[in-house]
Parts: sequence; structure tokens; C-alpha cells
Amino acid sequence: MSLEIKIPSVGESITEVTIGQWFKKEGDYVEMDEVICELESDKAAFELNAEAAGVLHIKAEEGDTLEIGDVVCEINTEAQADASLNGKPDEKEASEGKKAEEKTVSKPKPTGEVHEMKVPTVGESITEVTLSSWMKQDGDFVELDEVIAEVDSDKATFELPAEAQGILRIVAEEGDAMEIGALICTIEVSEGGAPEKSNTEDNNQEEKAAGTANNDVASYAKGHASPAAAKIIKERGITASQIKGTGKDGRITKEDAEQFDPSKQTQKDTSKIASIKQEAVTPTVAGERNVRREKMSSLRKTVSRRLVSVKNETAMLTTFNEVNMKPIMDLRKQYKEQFKEKYEVSLGFMSFFTKAVTMALKEWPSVNAQIDGNEIVYHDYVDVSIAVSAPKGLMVPVIRNAEDLSFDGIEKEVVRLATKARDGKLSIEEMTGGTFTLTNGGIFGSMLSTPIINAPQSAILGMHNIVERPMAVNGEVKILPIMYVALSYDHRIVDGRESVSFLVRVKELLEDPTRLLLGV
Amino acid sequence: MKYDVTVIGSGPGGYVAAIRCAQLGMKTAIIEKYDTLGGTCLNVGCIPSKALLDSSEHYHNANTTFKTHGIDLENLQVNMDQMIDRKAQVVKDNVQGIAFLMKKNKIDVHHGLGSFIDKHLIKVTNSEGKTTELETDKVIIATGSKPASLPFIELDKQRVITSTEALELRKVPKHMIIIGGGVIGMEIGSVFGRLGAEISVVEYMDEIIPAMDKSMGKELRKSLKKLGFNFYMGHKVTDVNATSRSVTVAAENKKGETEELKGDYCLVAIGRKPYTEGLGLENVGIATDDKGRIEVDQQLRTKVDNIYAIGDVIKGAMLAHKAEEEGSFVAEIISGQKPHIDYNLIPGVVYTWPEVASVGQSEEQLKEKKVAYKTGIFPFKASGRARASMDTDGLVKVLADEKTDEILGVHMIGPRTADMIAEAVVAMEFRASAEDIARMSHAHPTYTEAFKEAALAATDNRALHI
Repeated sequence: MSLEIKIPSVGESITEVTIGQWFKKEGDYVEMDEVICELESDKAAFELNAEAAGVLHIKAEEGDTLEIGDVVCEINTEAQADASLNGKPDEKEASEGKKAEEKTVSKPKPTGEVHEMKVPTVGESITEVTLSSWMKQDGDFVELDEVIAEVDSDKATFELPAEAQGILRIVAEEGDAMEIGALICTIEVSEGGAPEKSNTEDNNQEEKAAGTANNDVASYAKGHASPAAAKIIKERGITASQIKGTGKDGRITKEDAEQFDPSKQTQKDTSKIASIKQEAVTPTVAGERNVRREKMSSLRKTVSRRLVSVKNETAMLTTFNEVNMKPIMDLRKQYKEQFKEKYEVSLGFMSFFTKAVTMALKEWPSVNAQIDGNEIVYHDYVDVSIAVSAPKGLMVPVIRNAEDLSFDGIEKEVVRLATKARDGKLSIEEMTGGTFTLTNGGIFGSMLSTPIINAPQSAILGMHNIVERPMAVNGEVKILPIMYVALSYDHRIVDGRESVSFLVRVKELLEDPTRLLLGV
Repeated sequence: MKYDVTVIGSGPGGYVAAIRCAQLGMKTAIIEKYDTLGGTCLNVGCIPSKALLDSSEHYHNANTTFKTHGIDLENLQVNMDQMIDRKAQVVKDNVQGIAFLMKKNKIDVHHGLGSFIDKHLIKVTNSEGKTTELETDKVIIATGSKPASLPFIELDKQRVITSTEALELRKVPKHMIIIGGGVIGMEIGSVFGRLGAEISVVEYMDEIIPAMDKSMGKELRKSLKKLGFNFYMGHKVTDVNATSRSVTVAAENKKGETEELKGDYCLVAIGRKPYTEGLGLENVGIATDDKGRIEVDQQLRTKVDNIYAIGDVIKGAMLAHKAEEEGSFVAEIISGQKPHIDYNLIPGVVYTWPEVASVGQSEEQLKEKKVAYKTGIFPFKASGRARASMDTDGLVKVLADEKTDEILGVHMIGPRTADMIAEAVVAMEFRASAEDIARMSHAHPTYTEAFKEAALAATDNRALHI
């Protein structure tokens, strides 16, 4: 009997999903509730579980877009008995007794099948990824689902699991930029366990031969330029690291150096730097005049593209205000220790700002809305995006349902997301969505700025440094810690009354945090 | 006359620089103090010494191994006059060859002493005292070196001599005392040792040819002892006294005991010193360091931006082929190219028999740098080719990186190793591993198989013929 598995309803507004990735192959035996594939909607990615045990028959390919209710695959439940014998070599061999296993299991049997691994769809807006590093070397034996490589997209870093068990043949080099669906590697599929070091002679020799025959193996000599090539490289103002050597073990030959075309270097390693030392016109000129050229990372490219498009496609302007930070500072001073003791997280400004913002957004919903075609989408919740400066560039993770979080809940979430951002571990889900953004240029010492909206959101609040300024309070000059705040907003849907009132409301809430408690 | 480049000195550094400059389209002049071109190398160094080494080796073989080969000779004689005359002819042919090369490349040769007037003006004073002034854009100093001596030694050039005079001796010495166990001393000692002279070597260090891997000196000493050399290692010469007929050398050993050696010639071969006399460096503000060398930057440019210096007159090994590389290098630098010299890969050679040759790092250097290395040694005793020619002294040693197997140094002592070392230089320029060499076919039977075998031994101790 066959069971059809259909696309489940995944959310009210979602009418169609895309098959992100099949974790199982056609004809594989799957257990009930086992994850068989990943589906992506325009909001998020989710996993699809097998609704029964049996043999999988795939009906939709990776990248296909299906409507809710469409058939994804069939599971042949009758094949269960057979499959447990034929489809699972591990069990079969285990049952054949341990002695036999020791001799045979360790040696994988090539099946002759070559599995091609392609760049999976990793997210809706992602069209290109960069192969950041290979965890395995060419010719290595890889287990199914073993992580073989790391891939960077402009949003996040992914681990790439082996889609089959066998010998890895690397196609794409580290640093290569690849489009979705491009060939990454092939796996010469084999059955049985991994080869052990103490295996038979011929096996070892086979491996060795495979190693020396290939130029991609890491050798100390890889990238070493021959004397003539070295001279050409120097004269052309390029570096050996830019050139792929075709000589033995990746050595750079004279021809490699002569034919290298820096303008066609798009496929090359992005992290490698081409240092061009400019020849001084006269030898008497003092001082170095180095120029460095680096390829833009895909993250940087996306950031730049999006920022410009926001500038062009929205009616963005900024309103300012100033906040007396003394009350919050006093409050923090008073409860800092206790807060830390109780929640094991420091009480920072972020929680106050997030709280104030969520409260103000409730009152001015258009600031929390966004344009979708001819409609305005209002959000009953507040997902606050926080701009984080990460080593790879600007990241904007999201604090979900910030309106429901307590102070410690917000602080913990900020720490968690910032840490992940710093380590480059943020997932796409953690960066998508977001209805409003907070950015703090104050940590770098910014006094005042006009932030750019994080599209498709409609507003962004810029925080700045806190400086003691003379303020007129009740006809007297007082020195108070002041922060200027800036709200950039999309005038297409937010009017001056709303934006200004929103910012004034934020100011009120911050200057008198008791209001946060009472909601007044 | 106005030139793009003027080269001062026509030794292997100078004339190569001049040719390369001319090839690159520069109007070039070369100044030579002596009547013939070629400098020390061609006139009183490399070439004449090799001529005499070959002649004396023939005599030595005729006298010692021919009988075993099945060749009986009677009345074997050394004809010293003929030997020196032949050498002179070899030198003449070579220096004329250089003169031809200058003409071919349209390089103006000015004979006379070159001296800076200023950085763009050089005065050439010929042997008759006539002067010419050359105007030039760039200058390459390639004035080379002269034999060095010790302050208390009076070089009378009759009994107390340098290599220059030794190459002109028309009588085989009875007992030649050589001060210095370096390359020059060993080569000239070999010439006269083979011809029947008693040779005594007094060396301050503990080993001869001390700049090379220690094992090379040890092996060479064994071979030279067979030739009748006496070695006084760790001896410091304290006095040299010459009469018209004899010379006495006093040397002190490490215990402070003084030994007196009496001979008919004393060869002072303690090295060479840079030669800049009369060059007028003071007129352009170039100073020399404590060893008399001209200081240069990485592009071999002196303190004065249009003046370069190459060869023995600057730092580095005093070798003709090092000077040649620098000659080409500077010519290319001047024309805007960006050449490179890997000084680690300039081979060193001693033309004794067995010959000694090496390139890269010695075991001592690797130990000092704490580099983990493996060693592969193959003795010529086990080489079929060496047995056939009765040249079984010596060995080939390959030093490779413990982890990567990259060849870090090659040291050879044995027949024709001076020629064999070229393979090691090529291998190392391409950063070959010991296994790379081990996997290349070497013609059989040749001496070069010993290199392959040593490489096999270094790879993982799997030499085939031992």
C-alpha cells in the first residue's frame, strides 16, 4: 500500500512552499517520523516528516514550488519487510556474525554509482553561495550525512552533509562562488563501512595513487612558483596565491603565470588578498604607497545592494529627539547587582529601549507595518531586529515577540544572538522577519546619525552615545546625560504625526521608566 | 662618451652584467684594469686552477691507477713547463672569448683603472697614464676581490705566495705548507700533491672546508690523506719566516704547543678580501664595511641611487656563479624587471678529486634552526659506475624535511659531483621532495644514480642498491 504525503498547511498566509532539500533519496527506506525533506516558505524553512515507514518514492524535485496539499512523495508501506533486509546493509551484515564482519565490513564495496552533490537551495533570496572550506579532502572516504564542507551565503554559514557514502571527489575549490544547483562534488558511492587504516596493501596503494595523481591535494609545494614564473608574477604585480598552479602538486608554471588574467578572477578565493605594490615613479619618493584589493564578500554585496535599493525605493526621512538617560542610569545603578544575581545577565540599555519601542509601536501601529504590493501589512506583534557588527559584516538577528519578553528575557536574547552573530552561527530563520529595527551607533561613539531602514520594514530607531550636556530644566541649567535618538521612517506609510509621536512616546517611556511598568 | 650603464670590472659578474645590459638595449661600457678581460676567475682563479687540476689528475691516474686498468707506462714524467703553458693557452682562449662577446654585444671596452669623479662621471686611467672620462647614467661596481693575508705574514710572492703565484710555479714544490683549509687551499694542494709534493695544511678550525656540511670535510680529508696530505687542524699560525730557499711556518695547537713546519713554499689561502682600491668611492660617498665590502640593498643598489655593486665586492659567497647571477639581476633591475635570486640555492663546489658539491642547508644549519629533517646517504662504493672508473671515494647525502619530504640540502662528495649538483639545484628551485627525485629515472650506469639512491634513502630508507 502506498501512502501519499502532501504539503501540510504551515501557516495561514502561506499558500505555497519550495522543496529546499531532500534528505532521503528515491528508493530509500524511511522510518516513521524520520525527516525526509526540508520545505521553505517565504517566511521560514521547516522539515517534513515521514508519515509512515516504508520505501520512499519522490514526486517533487528540489527547487520545485508546490501548493499546500500537493503530493510531495509516496511511501510504499508494503516494502517494509523487504526493505529491512535489502535496504539496510548494516543490519544485514551485523547479523552475519562478527567474524565475517571484521573482515568484510571494513572494506567498502564500490557500487559504481556516482552521486553528484549540488548547491542546495538555502533560502529564498539566496542565489549564490561561497564555498568557505572543505572539511574533507579529495579522495577521502565520507559517511552519509557526515559534514564535508562549509558554505557561506550572504546571510549565514551552512554545513554541507554528504548525500551519500563513498569516496569524495572535489569539484569546487575553496573560495569558489557558486550558484544554487552548481556542482560541488561527486561521491563515488560505496556500500559497507569505512576503510580502516590496517586494511590490505592494495587498498592503501590505491589511496596513495589517487592522492598523488590529483593536483588538488594539499602539498607544501602547492602554489610555489618556478623561478621564471616567480619573476613574471612579481613584474605583473600579482601574487602567487591568486594563481592556480597546474604543475606537479599545484606548482605554478611559467605558463600559469603568463596566462593568468586578474580580470577573470571572479571564481577565485575571496579571502585572498591581492596586494599590489605600486612602482614608485622616482626612487627618491619616500614612504610606502600600497593599495590593497579584496573581493567583496557575498554578504557585503548583498548589504550594499539592499541599502541602495532602500534609499531608492522608499520615501525615507529622519526625525530626531533627545532623551534624558539619568532615570534609567539611576535605575540600572540601583538594581544592576540584584538583576545580575537573579537572571545571570547584565541589565543593559537594550532591554529598556526594546520595551519602550514595543510599547510605542502598539500605540502607533503604522510604524510597525510594512508595504506589500498594494496592501499594508500591520503586525500585532513586534519582532525587533537588532543590528550587530559581526566579523563577517553587518548582521541583523531578530528578537521574536519582543512585546511579550521580560527585561531579562530581552537581555538574554540579545546576548545569545550577538554571540551567534560574532561566531557566524546565525541561521536564516534567526535573521528573517523583523518588523522594526534598533541600531546602536553609540557603542562606536556616534553622536547623531540617520540610519537606513531595514527593508521591508518601515522604521528604524538609531541609538547614540550618552553625553553629559547642559539642559534647561525648569528655568535652570542642569548637566544631564543625554542621548540623541533618530527615527528613520518610510513616509509612504508613516506620516509625520505618527513618526514624531512615536519617537516622543519612546522618549517619555525612557525618561520615566515607571511608565514601562504601568503602561502609561 | 655617454653611456646608459658602465660596468667597472670584467670578471664573471661584470662581463655578464654588461652582456645582459646590452641585451636589454642599454648602451654599455665595461672598464678593466688589466690587459685581459675575465677578472680573477678567468685569469688567475677558476679556469687556470681547473686546467692544472685536470692535468695533475691525469698524471696522478697514470701514476697510480693505470696499472690496475691494464696500462703500463714507463718513464712517466711531469713536464711542468708544458703544463703551465697549456694552462696559459686555456686562459688565453677564454679571455679572447670574452673579448669577442663584448664586441658581439657592442659593449665598449675601456682598459685602465676606473675611478669615480662623481656619480655620473668615471675617469679611466690606462697603463700609460692616459685618461678618458666616461659619462654614464648607471654604474655597476664589479671590482671583485684579492687574496687576503694576515698582518704578520709578508707575502714575498717568491716563497710565501698566494694562489695567483701558485698557478705559475714551473717546478713541483718539495713541501708546500698551506695556510687555510678552504676551497682554494685544497684545490691547489691537490694539484701539487698529485704531482708529488708533500702537502701540509694548517687550519685554525676543526675541519677543512668548514663552510660546508661537516661530513664533506671529513670525507675529503680521508681522500686527501691518501694523497699524502698532512693536516694540522685547530692550529693557529703564529709566524711565517721565509728565506730565499725555504720557508718556516710556526703554528700553535689548542694546548698552546708550538709546532714548526719547514717547506719550500708557503701558500697563504685564508680567503679573499673585497677589492675597491683606486675606485674613488669617497668621491661619491660610498663607504665600505669592516670587511671592506660595499653595502647594498636588496636590489643590490648602493647608497647612491644610480650605483649598483655585485659579486665579491658585496656580501655573500665569493663565487663566480653568484656574481654572474647578480650581474644579470642588476641589469634586469635597471631595465625595470623584477628578478629574484635565491641565495640559499647557490651551489658551492670544491674541485678536488673526489669533487665536493653542495646546495641548500647543511645538517649543522638545520640543527641550529631546529628543523626536523631526515637524512639519506648513498656511498659511491655501492655505485657500479664508480667501481668501473675506480672512483669509489665519497657519498651523496640528501636532507629532507621530516614532515613534507621537501629537499632542504644536498651534499655530495665523489666523482663529477660538481656537475651533478645542478640536478639538486633544479629540484630545490621547484621545491621537489626526496621522493620526487626517487621517482625520476636516472640513466644507468651513471654517477647520478647515487643521487637518486640517496633520495630513496631519505624518502623512507629504501635505497635499492645498498
